[in-house]
Amino acid sequence: MLWLYLHFPHLLLDHLRRAFEEPAAMVVVSGPQPLVAQVCPLAQQQGVQVGMRLKTALTLVPDLAIHPGDTARTEAVLAQQAQWLYRYAAQIVLQPPDGLLLEAGSLRRLYGGVPELWQTLQQALAERRLTAWMATGLTPRAARLVARQGPGTCEQEQERLKARIAALPLAAAELEPRTQERLTRLGLTRLGELFQLPAAELARRLAPETLAYVQRIQGQRPDPQAFWQPPHHFHQQVDLVREAEQAQGLLFPLHPILAELEADLQWRQQDTDSLHLTLSHRDREASQLSLRTAGPEHRAGAFGELIRIRLEQHPLSAPVMALALTVRRFLDRDAPGGTDLLGETPDLREAWYTLVSRLQARLGDGALQRLAPEADHRPERAWSGVSLRPRSAPQAEASQQPLRPLWLLARPQPLQQAPVAWLSEPERIDSGWWDGERVQRDYYIAQLASGQLAWLFRDVRGGWFIHGWFG
Amino acid sequence: MSELLNTLIHDARVWQGHRQSLTQAPGEPTGYTALDQQLNQSGWPVGALSECLMDHDGIGELQLVLPLMRRVAQAKRTVFWINPPHIPYAPALLRHGVALEQVVVIRPGSTGDTLWTLENCLRSAVTGLVLAWPGRLASRDIRRLQLAAEAGHTTCVLFRSRRHACQNSPAALRLELEPAPRQGLRVNVLKRRGGWPGQSCQLEVASRAGLPSQDGPQVITGPWAGSHGQE
Repeated sequence: MLWLYLHFPHLLLDHLRRAFEEPAAMVVVSGPQPLVAQVCPLAQQQGVQVGMRLKTALTLVPDLAIHPGDTARTEAVLAQQAQWLYRYAAQIVLQPPDGLLLEAGSLRRLYGGVPELWQTLQQALAERRLTAWMATGLTPRAARLVARQGPGTCEQEQERLKARIAALPLAAAELEPRTQERLTRLGLTRLGELFQLPAAELARRLAPETLAYVQRIQGQRPDPQAFWQPPHHFHQQVDLVREAEQAQGLLFPLHPILAELEADLQWRQQDTDSLHLTLSHRDREASQLSLRTAGPEHRAGAFGELIRIRLEQHPLSAPVMALALTVRRFLDRDAPGGTDLLGETPDLREAWYTLVSRLQARLGDGALQRLAPEADHRPERAWSGVSLRPRSAPQAEASQQPLRPLWLLARPQPLQQAPVAWLSEPERIDSGWWDGERVQRDYYIAQLASGQLAWLFRDVRGGWFIHGWFG
Repeated sequence: MSELLNTLIHDARVWQGHRQSLTQAPGEPTGYTALDQQLNQSGWPVGALSECLMDHDGIGELQLVLPLMRRVAQAKRTVFWINPPHIPYAPALLRHGVALEQVVVIRPGSTGDTLWTLENCLRSAVTGLVLAWPGRLASRDIRRLQLAAEAGHTTCVLFRSRRHACQNSPAALRLELEPAPRQGLRVNVLKRRGGWPGQSCQLEVASRAGLPSQDGPQVITGPWAGSHGQE
C-alpha cells in the first residue's frame, strides 16, 4: 500500500482568493484575541507573518482584507476539494481541517506510475490556484507527518520512505505535549530513535495509546480508514471577502464554480437543466434563485450567460456575502449522432434550446407560449396557450376546424357603430351550461366602416360585441 | 475591390436607376402572383426587415404573410409572433394549414424587452420568420434589427401604424396596407431595395372570411411599372 497525503497550509485563504478579480493582501484570523492564522503571499511581502496580532498586521497593511477562520467553513471547503479530487482517485479520506489522504498504490497502473499521478495532481492543483504540500508514505500517518513538514518530493521506494519518516524530528510527530517532553528528556530527538525502543518498554513507560500510535506510523498495527463517498448532487460555494453590492460583482466569482460544474458534468457524462443559486446576505435571509435551461446543458459559458441575464433582470436585494451553486437534477446525455446524414438536426436543436433558455431567463417562463386548439365550442376556450416545456408535438387535427378569424380579442369589445356590410349568416353557439360559464351567442361576419372584417356576436341580452378580426 | 462592388450590385445594395431588373436580392415569394410581380419577383427579403404599415387590424394583413408562414412552418422552422395585439387564434391557424408546433408567441413586458427579444430571435438559426408588433421604434432601433436580421439571415415582418409611413426607415421593404373594395387588400410599395417604389396592387383576400373570391386580381400599375414589369 502506498498513501499520498495532501496538506493545504492555507486552504481557506486559497478558497477566498478565487473570488478575487485582482490580487489583494488578505489574512485569515482566529482566536479571541485575533491572531493572524493564514497569510497570503502578497501580505507576506508587506511584512505580515503568521502569529502576528491583527492590530500589528493592520498597521503594516491598512487595506488588509480580513476573514475569520471558521472550522466548519474550512471543513466544507475541504469537502469541496474532495469532490474534484474524486475524479482522479477513488479512495479518499478527509482529514479535517486541512488534509486529504488518498490511496495511491492502486492508481499506479492507471497513471503509469506514482510520479505521473503526482504530476497530474500538481497540475490540477495549479489550475485551481491551490497550494498543497504533498507527500507519499507507507502508512496514512507516515504520509501525513511528512506532508505537513513542507512541500515534498515524490518518493516510492520502501527503504527511502522508511528513512524519511525515521529522520523526522520528534516535534513533528504530533505526539501529546507531555509524552513529547518525556521523550525529549530521555534524549530522543528523531522519530527513528523512538522506533528503536522495545515495544513492551514503550507501553509500560509511556502509555499503551502512544505505542499504538507509533506502531500505526510504522504500519505494524492496522489503521483502517473511512473512505469518502461523493454526494449525489453538486454543491460549491464561494465566499466573498468584500461583499458584492451589484450583480456584476458576482459574475467573476461564479466563473470557477461553473467551470467546476462543467468538469463535473463531463465526468459524470450527464447534463442538467436546472441550477439553484443561493445568495447569502449579512442581515437577512438568503435569496434563492432557480434557473432552468430549455434543454439539457453542460457548458459553463451557457450557464454563465443565463445567470447574467437573470441577474440583470433581478437586482440584488442586499449585498451578497457568499454564493452557492447546487445542482440536484442530472439528465443522462443523449447519445450523440445526428438524426440525418448532414448532421444538421442536433445543431438546430441546440440553437433552439439556447434561444429559448435565453428568452425564458429574461422574460420569465410565462412569456413564451405555444398555441394549441382545444375541443370546445366556446370560442374563448377553443384554444390554449401552453408553456414551451416539455416539448411535445401536439397532434394537429387539421382541416376539421370551423371558419374562425385569425385574431381573437382577449375580451369582446362592444360594437360602436353599425357595420356597413353583413357578409354571413348567423352561427349560433350555445354551450357551456354545465360549468357555469354559459355562452349563448349568434356570430356574424361583417365589414366595418374602417374596412376591417370583424367577427361579431349578439348575446342573449341583445348586446353587440366584436370578438375577432379576420386579419 | 471589383469583387466587392460586384457583390454589392448583385445583392441590390447599390441602387441603379438603369439596370434595376438585373439585380436579385435573396427573397421568399409572397405567394401572391400580383404582389410578386410588383416586387420584381424578389418577394419578402431574406436577411432584412420588411415593414407593413396600416391603420387597423383585420384588413387582411395576416393573409399577406400566411403563405410564407405556412411554408416556413412546413420546413420545420420556427415562426415567432412577438407582442401580437390580439390572440393569434389557434383553430384558424390550423384551418389555414399552419403547423402549430412551430408557432411560438412571445409577449415581452416592456419595449426594451421587445427589442431584445426581437434581436435574439432574428439572430438564431432556428428562426424562419418573425412577425412583430413593436409599437414605437426609433430609427436606430430599426437599424439594429436590420443588422440582426442580416446576421441571422432571417425574414422579419414588422407591423406598424401608418403614422410611421413618412418616418425614415432602413427596412428593405416597406408596404402600406389599406382595405380595398370587396374585402380585398391594397398594397402600396413605399420602398424596396434595388427598384423604384410606387407600385400598387390589390389582393383578393376575401376568402379569409369564407367569402367567394371574385374575378382575378386587379392590378393597378404604378407610374414606372412599364419599364420593368414585363421583364
